[in-house]
Amino acid sequence: MTIRPATVALVLFFAATLAFFSVSAPRFATATNYENLMAGFSFVAILAMGQAFPILVRGIDLSIGAIVGLVGMVVFDLTLIFHVPGYVILPVALVVGMLAGALNGVLVVVLRLQPFIATLATLAAYRGLTYTISGRQLVPGLSTTPITDRWIVGIENYFDVGGWLGVNKLLAMPWFPLSFFIMLALFALFQTLVLATRFGRDLYAVGGNYEAARLAGINTGRVIITAYALSGLCAAIAALIMVARFTTATEALGTGSELTAIAAAVIGGVSLAGGIGSMFGPALGAFLLGAVLLGLTLQGVPQFVQQIITGAILLAAVGYDRLLVVRRQRRLAANLAQAG
Amino acid sequence: MDAPAILRGVGLTKIYGNLVALRDADFSLRPGEVRALIGSNGAGKSTLIKVFTGAIAPTLGRVEIDGVAAPLGDPSEMIRRGIACIYQHSNLAPAMSVLDNIFLGRQPTRRFGFVDSARQRREARALLERHRIAIDLDATVGNLPTVKQKEVEILKALALDARVILMDEPTAWLAASEVAKLHDTIRMLKTRAVGIVYISHVLDEIFAVCDTMTIMRDGRVIAESAVADIDRPRVVHLMVGEKLARESAEAAHEKRHPRGTGEIRMSARDLTKRGVFTEVSFDLHAGEILCITGLIGSKRTELLRTLFGCDRFDGGTLQIDGRTAAFASPTGAIAAGVGFVPEDRHREGLMLDMTMTENLAMATLDRFHRGLMLQRRRMSEAARQAIASLSIQPPDGSRPVKLLSGGNQQKVLVGKWLNRAPRILILDEPTVGVDVGAKAEIYRILRRERERGAAILVVSSDLEEVFTIADRIGVMVAGRLVRIHDADDCRLQDIVREIGGAAA
Amino acid sequence: MGVNDDKTAGGRRDFLKTTVLGAAAVAGAAGGLFSGAQTAGTGLGVPAARAQATRYRMAFIQWQPHTVPAAWSKGIEEVLGPQQVVDYELLDGQNKVEVQASLMDTLINQGASVIFLQPIDSVALAPSIAKAKRAGISVITLNIDATEPHAAHVEMNHYYGAMDIAKAMGDAMGGKGKVAILNAPPGIIIRDQRTNGFVDGLKKHHPGIEVVADQVADWDRKKAQDVLATILAAHPDLGGAYGVNDSMALGAVDVAKEKGLIGKMVIFGNDGEVAALESIEAGELTGTQYTDVYQQGRLAAAAATVLATGGVAASAFGQQAHLLMPYVIATKENVGMIQDSQRW
Repeated sequence: MTIRPATVALVLFFAATLAFFSVSAPRFATATNYENLMAGFSFVAILAMGQAFPILVRGIDLSIGAIVGLVGMVVFDLTLIFHVPGYVILPVALVVGMLAGALNGVLVVVLRLQPFIATLATLAAYRGLTYTISGRQLVPGLSTTPITDRWIVGIENYFDVGGWLGVNKLLAMPWFPLSFFIMLALFALFQTLVLATRFGRDLYAVGGNYEAARLAGINTGRVIITAYALSGLCAAIAALIMVARFTTATEALGTGSELTAIAAAVIGGVSLAGGIGSMFGPALGAFLLGAVLLGLTLQGVPQFVQQIITGAILLAAVGYDRLLVVRRQRRLAANLAQAG
Repeated sequence: MDAPAILRGVGLTKIYGNLVALRDADFSLRPGEVRALIGSNGAGKSTLIKVFTGAIAPTLGRVEIDGVAAPLGDPSEMIRRGIACIYQHSNLAPAMSVLDNIFLGRQPTRRFGFVDSARQRREARALLERHRIAIDLDATVGNLPTVKQKEVEILKALALDARVILMDEPTAWLAASEVAKLHDTIRMLKTRAVGIVYISHVLDEIFAVCDTMTIMRDGRVIAESAVADIDRPRVVHLMVGEKLARESAEAAHEKRHPRGTGEIRMSARDLTKRGVFTEVSFDLHAGEILCITGLIGSKRTELLRTLFGCDRFDGGTLQIDGRTAAFASPTGAIAAGVGFVPEDRHREGLMLDMTMTENLAMATLDRFHRGLMLQRRRMSEAARQAIASLSIQPPDGSRPVKLLSGGNQQKVLVGKWLNRAPRILILDEPTVGVDVGAKAEIYRILRRERERGAAILVVSSDLEEVFTIADRIGVMVAGRLVRIHDADDCRLQDIVREIGGAAA
Repeated sequence: MGVNDDKTAGGRRDFLKTTVLGAAAVAGAAGGLFSGAQTAGTGLGVPAARAQATRYRMAFIQWQPHTVPAAWSKGIEEVLGPQQVVDYELLDGQNKVEVQASLMDTLINQGASVIFLQPIDSVALAPSIAKAKRAGISVITLNIDATEPHAAHVEMNHYYGAMDIAKAMGDAMGGKGKVAILNAPPGIIIRDQRTNGFVDGLKKHHPGIEVVADQVADWDRKKAQDVLATILAAHPDLGGAYGVNDSMALGAVDVAKEKGLIGKMVIFGNDGEVAALESIEAGELTGTQYTDVYQQGRLAAAAATVLATGGVAASAFGQQAHLLMPYVIATKENVGMIQDSQRW
C-alpha cells in the first residue's frame, strides 16, 4: 500500500491549519488548547474510523450517534440502577455496541436494504430504545446523580507525558487524555486490520467490486456485517469516553455525531464509492475539523460561519480527491503515449 | 478422448420470470480439452457459464465435477473444486493493486489472518515468469489500460491452478499479438490437463485453438462437433439460421463509395492533443464510411472523444460543414449534427436500468416534450418504429436494457442516434462482443445511413469488419494517422504491416 | 491563608447581596439602565484605572437558539456593553452536551472571567464547571442548575409558577374537568419542575380536576398540534390544556381555533414570550406565566460584573447563590400591564 497523494495533501493541510491558527487565533498555540483538542475530538476520531468500515464496503452507517446514546444509557442504567461493577459494564457496553452495529449489517445483507435506509431506520429505533430504557425517567432523581464508578469515570484521565519525558522545562506540553491513547491504540489496530490482514483485503474487494468479490468466493455477507459491527464497536467506545467525560448519559447523547464522523471520514479520503481509503485519514480528518472549530471559536468567528467553513472544507476535500484522480489518469495516458 | 468428463452439466434449465434463458442443456468437458461455446448473443452461453461458476443456481438440472454432484449457486464451492472463470466484463476491484486482485478472496495468510504478502508476491512472480507476462504487481488496476486488466483477470484464473477455466470472450479487448499470446497460454494449459471452455465470436480464434465445439441457440444446445469435422459456413449457419447467414455473406460484396458524394462534412487539420495524438488530418465526406484501424492503445478512442467534444484538443483545427468547430461539450457536437456511439456500452453508452424506450429517446428528448412534460406516448411510438427497423429482440420497448443481449444493446445504442438522423455518425468498435447475426444487422444499418447521406466514421480493430464496411481505411499508429487508403485499392497484408510498422 | 479565605468568602457573600441590590436598582431605573450598572460597579469600589487597563472576557453558552436565551443575551449585553471593559459573546451549544463541554474548554483556555451557562444537562456539564472553577472562572447558570456548586444560579420560578398556573387554570375551569399536559421530552429538570408544580398545584387548589393525558410534544408548536388533536379524539370533553412552554400552548390554541373550542377550552402556557402575550390579548390563549427574561439576563450580568471585578477567586466559593425571578400569571385582565419594552 503506497501513501496516496491525497493523504500527503491532508497532512500538509492539517499542518497549514495549525500554523494559520497559531499565528492568527489568540491562545491557539497553547498546551491547554491542544489538550482541549485531544479531549474533545479523540472520540470523534474513533467514530470516524468506525464509520470508515461501512463506507469502505460502499455503505454508510447513520445510526452510530444513536448507538452512542443507547450504549451510554445501558452504562447509565447498569451503574446507577443495578449497581453493576464497572469492570463488568465495560465489556457489556462493547458487546451491546457491536450487536447494534451487526444488526445494521444483517439488515443490509439479509434483507438487502439500502445501507442509508437500514441505518436511518435503526437510528430512529435505537434512539427510541434509549428513551424507553432511560433510567433518568424510570427512577426519579437519577438524572441529577453523577456516575462515580471509577472503572468508568477513570477513562476521563490525563497523563503528564511531558513530565515523563522530562521536556516540561523546555516546552509546555499538554497533558494527554486517556481517550487520545485509546484512539491511538484503535488506530494501530484498525490500520493493521485493513492493510495487513485477509479481512482487510476482503473489505477493499467487496467495496471496490462487489460482484468480483462474490465470484472470487469471498463471503461478502460476513465481511459487510463485520464492517457494521466494527462501526458499532467504535460507537460503544466513543460512548464510554463521553459518559466518563460527562459523568452521566443523556438520552440525546451522540445526536448528530454520525454526520461529523462521515465528514471526517470523507475529508480523510475515504471514498463514498467504496473500496478506497484507510484509517489514517478519518482520524486526522476528525482532528482537522476539531482544530478548525477551536481555532475559529478562538478567533471569535460566529458558529454559523464556522459551519459554512466546515462545509467548504468538506467540498474542497472531495474536489481535491477528484482532481487527483483526473490528473493521474491524464498522466497515465501521457505515459502510455510515450511508451507506444 | 476417452477420459471421463471433468465437468458435466445435465439437463440444465434456468428461468428468469417468464424468460427461459437455458433449456435442458447438456454439456461435458474432458481434461485437456479446449471446447468452444458458440452461439448468437442471447443464446444462453453466459447463463451456462454462470451456472458453472456458481454465480447463479439453475432452476433445474445438476452440475457434476469428476462425476460428483457439486453444490449449486455458491461461487466459493466452485472455486474450491477448481473451476475458474475469466469474465467478459471486468471483475476486478479497480482501487486495489494487481497483486491483491490476483489473490482476491484467497490471500495466503499467516497466524491471526495476517496476509503473507511475501509469499503472495513470490507466488505471483513465479506465475508471471511461467506465463511470460510482464506487469507491475503494485500498479492500481483501475489505472491500467483495458488490455492489461484482461491480463490480470487471466492471471487471477491461472493463480488458482484451476482444473477448468471458463473464458467468456477473453479476447474481446485484446490486440492481435495479445490474442496469439493467450492462445499459447491455452495450449500450455492443455498439456497440463486443464479443461477450457472458450467463448468467442471470432471464428478464426475458434478454429485456431479449440478441439471441439458446442453450438447454442435460443437457450438450447443444438449441435456438438469436433472442430476438425466442421467448416465455417456450417458453423455460421447453425448459429444464426438461414436468412441472416445469407445477408452476412452478401454484405462482403457491397459496392464501395470512397469520398461518398464529395461533400466534406468534417475536416480535421493537424489536430493535436499533447501526449495523446499528434497532427491528425482527414476529411470525412457525406455518404462514405471511413474506418480508422490500428492497435489498441494507438489513441483512436481518444481522437473520437475529442471530435465529439468530450475532451479538448490543444492544436490544429476542426471544421464541420466548413465552419470551424471547437466543441466545449458533447452538447455542441450534438447540435452540429454529430452522433457518437462509444466503445464501452455499459459504462458510457446506455442507462442499463432504464427501458429500451427511454434509452432510445435519450438523445432526442428535446423532441418529446411539451412545456416541461414529456410526451410518453409519442416516445413509445418512435421507439416502436426504431425497434422494428433495427429488429431488436425481443421487440418490447418497456424492457430494461440490461436484460438485452450484447448485440441488441448495441443496436439500441446506435438506434438512439438514428432518431436524430445525424449528419455525422461516429462509432467506436461498434461490434465488439456482438454476435455474427447482430453484426450483419449493424452493418446493414450503417450502410442504410450512408445511403441516406450521413458521413460515418468508425474505429475498429477487427480487420474483417474494416474490409467489410469501409469505403476508405485510415491507419493510426501511436497517436498519428499515418495513412488513408481507398478500400478497393489496398490489401489486407499492407494494412497489417502499416499497423505494426511504427509501433514495433 | 485561612484568614484571608474567610475574609474573601465572607466578602463574597456581601458582594452577591450588593449584586442583587444593584440589579434591582437597574430594574427600577426605567431608561437609566446604564447609570444603574455603573452605580453597581463603582459602588463596589473598583478603581477606575484598573477598569480601564483590564479587559474581561465573558460568554454565554446557550442550549440552542430560542427566544428565551436570545432575550437573556440581550439583557446581559445591556448591562455589560456600557461598561466597555467586557468582551462578551453568545455561543451556541447546538443542543449537544459535547459541544457545550468543548466550548467550556475553549473559554477556560481563553481565560474568561465569567461564563454564563444554560446547561443541557445538570450532571453532564458538572465536570466542565468544576474545571472552570479550578481555573478561577465564575460560572453563572441560567434556568437549569448544575450538580456541581458554582457561583450563582438565576432561574425562572418554575415550580411555584406552575403551581400558580394550576390555580389560575382551575379557577377558569370552575374547579372541575379534564386537562392535558403538552410536555417537553424527559430528562430535563425544568420539565420536571414545571410538571410537578402544576400537578401539585392542582392537588392543592383544585383536587376535582383530573389530568387525563401527559404527552411529549418536543417543545414544538407543530408537534403540539398533532398531539393535542390525538388527545381530543380520545377525550372530546377535555376542558383544559397546559403547554409546558408557550410554543406548545400556542399549538393547542391552533387546534382549539380549528375545532371552534376557543372560549370553551382553557389553555395555559409557560414562559411569557411575545407571541403568547399577543394571543392572550386576542382572547385565544387563556394565560401564561410571564417572567421578564431581559431582567433575568440583566440580573445575571450584574452578578457577573461583581464576580469579575470583585477580585475574589472562584475556587473560594463555599456556597452557591440561588436567585429566583419574580413572575406574574398573565391573563386577559393583567396582560396590558406588561410594557412593550418588557416583551420578548
